[in-house]
Amino acid sequence: MLVAWRYRFRNSFVQSFDPRAWVIFYLCFLLSTLAFWDVRFLTPMLAIALFWLLSARLAWDEVRRPFLFIGGFVFVFALLTFLTGRGGSEVYTQEHLLRSFAASFTLLGWRPTLDITIERAFFALSQFVRVFSIAVMTILIPYSLNPAHYGITFRGLGLPDKIAYAMDLTMRFIPTFGRDFQLTMDAQRARGYELEKISGGLIEQVRKLGPLIVPVTIHAIIGSEDIIDAMDLRAFGMGPRTWLEELHYRRRDLILIAVGVLLLAASFSISFAGLGKFWVPPQLLP
Amino acid sequence: MDKKLVSVLGALVVVLAIFAIVMFGFGARDPLGPFNFSVDQATLVLRFGFVTLGLVIAFGVYLATKENKAWEIGTREVVYMAIGAALYAIFSYLFNGTVIALPSISQVALRPAIAIPMFFGYAFGPVVGFFSGAVGNMFGDALTGFGLSPQWSIGNGLVGFIAGLVFLFKDKKQSMNTVLYISAGLAVVAVVLYFVNSSQANLNYFNPENNTFGETQLSTFAGISILVGLALVLGVRFAFSKSEDIAAAVTWSMLGNILGIGFAAISDIWINGYSLTAAIVGEFLPAAGPNLIFAAILVPLLVVAYSAVQRQSGR
Repeated sequence: MLVAWRYRFRNSFVQSFDPRAWVIFYLCFLLSTLAFWDVRFLTPMLAIALFWLLSARLAWDEVRRPFLFIGGFVFVFALLTFLTGRGGSEVYTQEHLLRSFAASFTLLGWRPTLDITIERAFFALSQFVRVFSIAVMTILIPYSLNPAHYGITFRGLGLPDKIAYAMDLTMRFIPTFGRDFQLTMDAQRARGYELEKISGGLIEQVRKLGPLIVPVTIHAIIGSEDIIDAMDLRAFGMGPRTWLEELHYRRRDLILIAVGVLLLAASFSISFAGLGKFWVPPQLLP
Repeated sequence: MDKKLVSVLGALVVVLAIFAIVMFGFGARDPLGPFNFSVDQATLVLRFGFVTLGLVIAFGVYLATKENKAWEIGTREVVYMAIGAALYAIFSYLFNGTVIALPSISQVALRPAIAIPMFFGYAFGPVVGFFSGAVGNMFGDALTGFGLSPQWSIGNGLVGFIAGLVFLFKDKKQSMNTVLYISAGLAVVAVVLYFVNSSQANLNYFNPENNTFGETQLSTFAGISILVGLALVLGVRFAFSKSEDIAAAVTWSMLGNILGIGFAAISDIWINGYSLTAAIVGEFLPAAGPNLIFAAILVPLLVVAYSAVQRQSGR
């Protein structure tokens, strides 16, 4: 049995486009966002992402879990970058101290100190806006793209039939195998297997993962025989594939693609002109 | 020229063009330009020469073996590609430390998912292995929200691809010895590099609880873990010398792991501006070493279980 992603037709703005146009726009957005470290250029990207999100008609209950996880992860990552300065050293070479907090105690002669610099603060902010914008757009894909259109979308984007169909099947299998894994873990727990309390040396610990990985994998392979038979009976791969549904670009799809390409071209032009690199407000610098 | 050959040539030309754009376009213009690509200008042409040489070798291998059944993609392969990629994505997502936090021993985190592209490559051929590794890694990263790292997706794809090259050899046993010598040689060179540069930071090691992000010195165990893996592979190779499948699976998986992860780590010299030492000692060893340990233990388990299924189903 295939378990579907949480897709449903919501009659939203994003779903009003051809899925190929939406994927092309997404790729243009992704590359455009990656071209910048300047928060002034990244903010419009975040605005675009939030516009897509808010116009997608998603209920908070539907997306709460991925958003809390990815939002929390991105926030913690940016916070650690801010606290440690790690990662920014490739982007800026000089730091200007705003404030320094020194602990009142020492550890073996070392006094823990937190240096807050303008560069660290703005690098963490830029990193958060950059990654969160991409995450927002990425999360939208499974909620807005009809699973029945996966294959034809990839085919329409130029992939060969067999590869497009394999991509289609991959996206359909992921939630199914996620559920199989959970069932297997529950079944093993009922037999006393405790993943959280896995013990022993490294080799022993790896070996103890076998009761989870092997059944899920082998079950997937055994279950695939039905799918293979069904595909063979329909003469899969014997000639050019036809799809149950056909996608046709409409005027609005072409406009969306044009907007995406323009965004990409503008971002790259700005970037090649030397703009869009890491920026801190000059007023804050001493 | 037949259509298949043209499409393979076309794909290689596209890969070459992408490298050319990255290296001469982004890299040459500004060391901190878009995407933060930095390329040492002094060796730019030489490096590009190596990329070209690699692609020529790949094309040569294909040309010499294009009649081999290993390159055929039928219904079965399409379904296995999808299953391998989906399983790799799910296991990567679950075991990356954010969903199920498994303990890490001396900087070696338990990420057993890598056994999937190795097994699928070995059992179903290089194309299935490549797709499982590359697409699975891409979806796994997307599921976690870590963003996409194309060079690591290709590296993971190569792990499965090379494990599947066993299909090109009629005599598995003979191929195993050659593969073993090459892999052992590469592993020893990497460990020697570690001992010469033992102060190098482990760039793969993140420990948020201690505010550590890729800056802790590589532990001795992580540094020599590739030798531990090699010893385990040798143990499996000789302990199961009568079971050709198990021995061949771990041996070819070892080569796939070393070359695939090596490709991803070395490509970071261009992409992240790492030095050769940082790429090999700081990135390759802490990733490839533990992978080899997982390969030596989990791949045989999968091979044995799959053999039992084959015996039962007769397929």
